[in-house]
Amino acid sequence: MKKEYSKEILDEISKKFPEVSIKIYAPRRIYIRISREKVFDFAEFLFKEKDFRLSIATGIDTRDGMEILYHFSHDESGTYYTIKTLIPKDDLKIKSLATFLPAANWIEREIHELLGVDFVGHPNLKPLLTAETWPADLHPLRRDYADEHKDIKISKKPQETL
Amino acid sequence: MANAKLWGLKKSPWVFHVAAASCNNCDIEILDILTPRWDVERFGILLVGSARHADALLVTGVLNRKSLPRVLRVYEQTPKPCLVIGVGSCTCHSHIFEPSYNVVGPYDKYIPVDVYIPGCPPKPEAIIMGVVKALKRL
Repeated sequence: MKKEYSKEILDEISKKFPEVSIKIYAPRRIYIRISREKVFDFAEFLFKEKDFRLSIATGIDTRDGMEILYHFSHDESGTYYTIKTLIPKDDLKIKSLATFLPAANWIEREIHELLGVDFVGHPNLKPLLTAETWPADLHPLRRDYADEHKDIKISKKPQETL
Repeated sequence: MANAKLWGLKKSPWVFHVAAASCNNCDIEILDILTPRWDVERFGILLVGSARHADALLVTGVLNRKSLPRVLRVYEQTPKPCLVIGVGSCTCHSHIFEPSYNVVGPYDKYIPVDVYIPGCPPKPEAIIMGVVKALKRL
């Protein structure tokens, strides 16, 4: 099989989800912009029907809102399909993919603690990377974050987490 | 040579490798010095699997809020007297990670470090020289 995106999959996507905008960035790199209400159904369609695999997700604090990117890999053709969605900053909520996709579990926890996005329906939304003494409402990778960590106590005793 | 225990340590220092969240480059260079090309076992330097058997700790990486308690626990378990050798620029100062929210500051704020080996990552020759200089000081 040729190592590039398949037209059939893109046709099927635009037939099933007519409102998405598809951008072919490179033969093996596709960006799909979609509203946040449709992300769950779209990811379920890719994962369950089309045998895609979730590599990783990315969260970015942009000027227009929080952007979440789910990078799905189509291993058969060696192509990446990235789902992009924008969440408004006054309502940071998105439906979690971890309910049917175990690969999304840890990265959603990470985005939750570092950027403060609430993943609705996530089975275990505890902090993953930040220290035990770190306050839950402080998100260090946000744009408006400024040296608040200076006053946080440094713990010298390990605590059991995970 | 005041301390007989230190004199005993000098003959064949057993080394335990503590990777305190480094980027792995220093860890790879530490593996290099065990290969036949540099072969530090000819000096009696041996990598051991437990801090309880070690005479020296090779620490790599920037101390952060998560790794600090673990490093302190490993240091407490090491029989004293012991040497602490900081490998890489990250141990000398906090390197480019200094303004990060997770970095807690230099090593010597928390444990006594005997020798620092700068470099990102340091060459295997530099690591061997650092260990030799640490042993010469005893």
